[in-house]
Amino acid sequence: MHFTREINRLMFGILLLLGIVAVAAAYWAVVGPDTILQRQDNPRLVQTEAEIRRGSILDRDNTLLVTTTLNDDNSLTRSYIYPEFASALGYASLRYGVNGAEAAFNNILRGDTVNNDILNQLSNDLLHKAKVGSDVRLTFDLDVQQAAVSAMGDHTGAIVILDVPTGQVLAMASLPTYDPNTLDQNWEALTQAKGNPFFNRALQGTYQPGLALQTPLLAAALLANYPLNTPLADANQSVQLGEVSFSCVDEPPDTTLTLQSAYLYGCPYPFAQMIRDIGIQTVQSAFNTFAFERPPTLTGYVTNPADQTVQSSRFLFGTDNFTENALGQGTITVSPLEMAVIAAAIVNDGNAPIPHSLLQVRPPNTDVWHDEEGVNSSVPMLTADSSRQMQTIMEAAVDEGAAHAAAQPDLTIGGHVALAYVGETTQTWFIGFVTMGNRQGAAIALVLEDTSNTDLAAEIGGQVLAAAQEQLGVITPQPTAAS
Amino acid sequence: MTFSADTFTIKHEHQPDTARIERRLLVVAGLFLLVNYLGLTLVRNSVELEEWVHLGVWVIGAVVGTALLEHFLPFRDPLLFPVTMFLSGWGLILIERLAPPFAERQTIWLAVSVAAMLVVSIFPHLLRWLRQFRYVLLLLGILLLVGTIVLGTNPSGLLSAPQLWLGFGAIFFQPSEALKIILVAFLASYLAEQFPAIRSGALGGNRGLSISPRVLGPIVLMWTICILILVWQRDLGTAILFFTIFVLLLYVASGSNLVLVSGLLLIIAAGLVAYKAFPVVQLRMDIWINPWPESDGRAFQIVQSLLAFAAGGTFGQGIAQGSPTYIPVVHSDFVFSALAEEWGLLGTIAVIACIAILVARGMRIAIRQEKRSFLALLAVGLSLLIATQSFLIMAGVLKLVPLTGITLPYLSYGGSSLLASFVILGLLLRLSALEN
Repeated sequence: MHFTREINRLMFGILLLLGIVAVAAAYWAVVGPDTILQRQDNPRLVQTEAEIRRGSILDRDNTLLVTTTLNDDNSLTRSYIYPEFASALGYASLRYGVNGAEAAFNNILRGDTVNNDILNQLSNDLLHKAKVGSDVRLTFDLDVQQAAVSAMGDHTGAIVILDVPTGQVLAMASLPTYDPNTLDQNWEALTQAKGNPFFNRALQGTYQPGLALQTPLLAAALLANYPLNTPLADANQSVQLGEVSFSCVDEPPDTTLTLQSAYLYGCPYPFAQMIRDIGIQTVQSAFNTFAFERPPTLTGYVTNPADQTVQSSRFLFGTDNFTENALGQGTITVSPLEMAVIAAAIVNDGNAPIPHSLLQVRPPNTDVWHDEEGVNSSVPMLTADSSRQMQTIMEAAVDEGAAHAAAQPDLTIGGHVALAYVGETTQTWFIGFVTMGNRQGAAIALVLEDTSNTDLAAEIGGQVLAAAQEQLGVITPQPTAAS
Repeated sequence: MTFSADTFTIKHEHQPDTARIERRLLVVAGLFLLVNYLGLTLVRNSVELEEWVHLGVWVIGAVVGTALLEHFLPFRDPLLFPVTMFLSGWGLILIERLAPPFAERQTIWLAVSVAAMLVVSIFPHLLRWLRQFRYVLLLLGILLLVGTIVLGTNPSGLLSAPQLWLGFGAIFFQPSEALKIILVAFLASYLAEQFPAIRSGALGGNRGLSISPRVLGPIVLMWTICILILVWQRDLGTAILFFTIFVLLLYVASGSNLVLVSGLLLIIAAGLVAYKAFPVVQLRMDIWINPWPESDGRAFQIVQSLLAFAAGGTFGQGIAQGSPTYIPVVHSDFVFSALAEEWGLLGTIAVIACIAILVARGMRIAIRQEKRSFLALLAVGLSLLIATQSFLIMAGVLKLVPLTGITLPYLSYGGSSLLASFVILGLLLRLSALEN
C-alpha cells in the first residue's frame, strides 16, 4: 500500500478544487444577472436592445410617423417618416440613447409595459423571442406640425400649440433641428452644430420673457380690479430697464393710452405705472398663480430648464429689481410651453389645461387601442370673467393692435406680440389663440431668436392657428377598448 | 484465457457488464448530441448536411470504439470511454456552433484521436516500452521542446502570437501536448524506481532535509524545462501544468508534505519573478486581480467570459441562442464559458462532474495497481493531467486563478489537444484492464 494515502488525499484535493469551480460558476450564474450583466460595457445589452422591435408612433389621425422595419439581414431600422417631427419625437439610437417622445414613452415603445400571461412569457423566454413594443398614438397632428415648421422656416426658435380645453399638444417644434434617420452618422457634427439642435427649446428653453409678461400682468391688473381704461398722458414713452430702453412694439394712434390700449400696442410705460400702483405682493401673487415658480411639464419629456440656478431663483422679487422682473427683463425666464398654457387658460375660462401628448396605446399584435392619459383636469389661473375680458382684449390686439399680422379670414384669433432683450440679441414672442366657441380652440406660444420682427412672429402664429383650427374640426376618434 | 503478450497481463476470463454499461451511456450521450444538433438546425433554420456527417463520424467512433474495446479489453473501466466520448461530442457541437469553419477539422481530429486511443489501449507492448525506454522518451521530449523553440510557428501565421506549434504542411501539431504525456511516463518510470530511496528519508525523513542527487536531478531538470517553456515560448499554462504534475507526482512517490509546500512556494516565487520579468505574466496577473477597469481593453476576454456565465444563468440560453462569440478565441480557451452561456449552470456542473468522474476513475485505477508502482504512478499522472489542465482553464475563465492559455480536455478546439487527451484515455483504459 505505497501510495494509497497520497492518492486519496490528492483525490480529495482535486474534488475540492472542482467543487470550488462549481461554486464559482454558480455564483456568477446566480448573482451575475443582477450585477455584472447590467454593466454598460456588456455587449449583450446592446444586442438585446437592438433586437427589440420598438412600437410605431402615430399622430392623432393615425398617420404613421415613426416605424421599425425588418431588414434582409434581420437587423431593424427605425424610420422617421416626417422630418418636421424630429424635435418633438426625438430619436432612438443604440449608440446615443433616446430623446423626445422616444424617451418619454420609451418603456411603452420597448414593450416593457406589455402584460404577457405566464404561458406567453415562458414561451417568449424559452424561444428567445425578441421583445415587441406597443404602438403609441400621440396628440400631435401632422398637418399642424408641418404648418408650424414650414411657417417657422429657417428661424431659430420654438413653437408649441395646445388644444383647448384638453391640453393635448397639437404640435411642438424646436429649431434648428436634425434628421434622426442619419443621427448616428452625423452625431459628432450635430453636437457641435451652431444652435444646438438637440436642445428642445419648446420645453427646455429658458427664455427672457420681456414684454410677453404683459399678458399675465394684464390679468393681474384684472384680478386686482385695476382700472384698464383710465387714460394716461404720454403713455407711449419708453421705459429704461437697466441698459435696455423699452418702447411700444407698434406705434399707437395717440400718445394718451389706457392700460388696455397700451397692451394692444405693446407699450411698456402704463404697465410700469400699474405694477407700481398694485405693488409687489399683488404682482408676485399673480405670477405665482400663473405657475411661474414651477412651470408646467409635459409628461415623460425633459422640461427642466438647463440652468437650475436660474430656475431656483427665478422668482425672488426684491424691491431693487422689481420693475425689471415684472416687465420680464429680470431673473424670470419662461419656456414656450409655459406661455402656451397661459394662452390656453385664457381660452378655457381661466383654467389652465395640463399639457400632455399621449392619447392611446396599442399592445403588439392587437388592433385595439387603449386610452392611456385621460387628462382633462385643469388648474385655475383666472376667473371666467377675467379670462373672457382677456380674450376680448387679445382679439382686439389682432384686429387693430401690434399683433395684426396674425389675423386670418373668418377666424377668431387673439394674440399679443412682445420683444425681450438678452445682451445684444432680441427675441420676439407671440402668444395667442383661435377660438371655436364654448371654450374650445387652440392656444399657441412661439419665440423667435435674434429678430425683432414682431409681424413675422404674429404671421407665423396666425398661420399655425389657422391650420390647427382646420384640423380640430376633422378629428375622428379611434375605437378604444371600452368602446 | 489470459492475454500475456504484455508484461502486464490483461484480464479476459469472464464476460463483464462493462459493455452493457458503456453502450447505455453512449446511447445517452448520443441522444444528447442528437437533441443539440436538432436544436442547432432549428435555430439556424437550415439543414446543413456537413453537421450531420460530423455527428455520424462521432457515432461511428463510438460504435467502433466500444466494439473494439469490448473485443480487446473486456475488463476495462466502463465509464472512461463513454464519458470522454460524451465530452468530445459536446466539444464538437460547441465548435459547430461557435466556429463552423473549424468543425470539419475537429471531426477529422476526433476520428484520428479515437483511432489513436484504440491503438494505444490495444497495443500490447506500449506500457513496457514506456517503462523501459524512459530516457529515450525524455530525450525525445527534450528534442520536441528544442524543435519547437527553434522551428516553432503559429497556425495563424502571426509572428506576434506564441510559436507553440510545429507545422507539417497544412497540419499543425503542438509538441507540448505530446511532451506532457512523455513527461508523466518518464516521471512515473523514474519515481517508480526511486521512490523507496526517496521515502527512506531524502525529503524530510530520517536524514532530515538533505536532498540526494537522485531527487535533485529531476527537480532541476523539470525546473529547467518549465523555465525554458516560459521564457522561450511565453507558454505560462504549459509551464504551470508541467511543474504542478511534477510536484504532485513527487508528492505521491515521496509521501512528503514538504514537497507540496515547497512546490507551492516555488510556484509562488516563480510567479513573482515572472511577474517582474515577463509582460505576459504581468498582464495575466493584473487582469486577474482586477479586470473591471480594463474591461474593454486588456481584460476584455475575462470580463466577457464572466458575462457569459452570468448570461447563462441556471438553465442557459439554449444552443446558439446566447452570445458567447463576444469572447475572442472562444472555441479554444474559453469553450467552458461558451458552454456556461448556452447550457447554463447545469451544463457547467455536468462538465465538472464528468471531469471528476474521469479523475476519480483514473485514481481508482492507480489504487488498484498500487503494488506495481510504475502503473500506479502512471495512472495518477495521467489523471492529474486531466484534472490540472481542466482546473487551470475552468478556474481561469471564472477568475479564480490567473488565466493560462490551455485547452479544456476533450471539449476545446485543437487537434493536438484532442489527440493527446485520447491517448491519455487509451493508456488509462489499458491500465484499467490489467489484472490487479
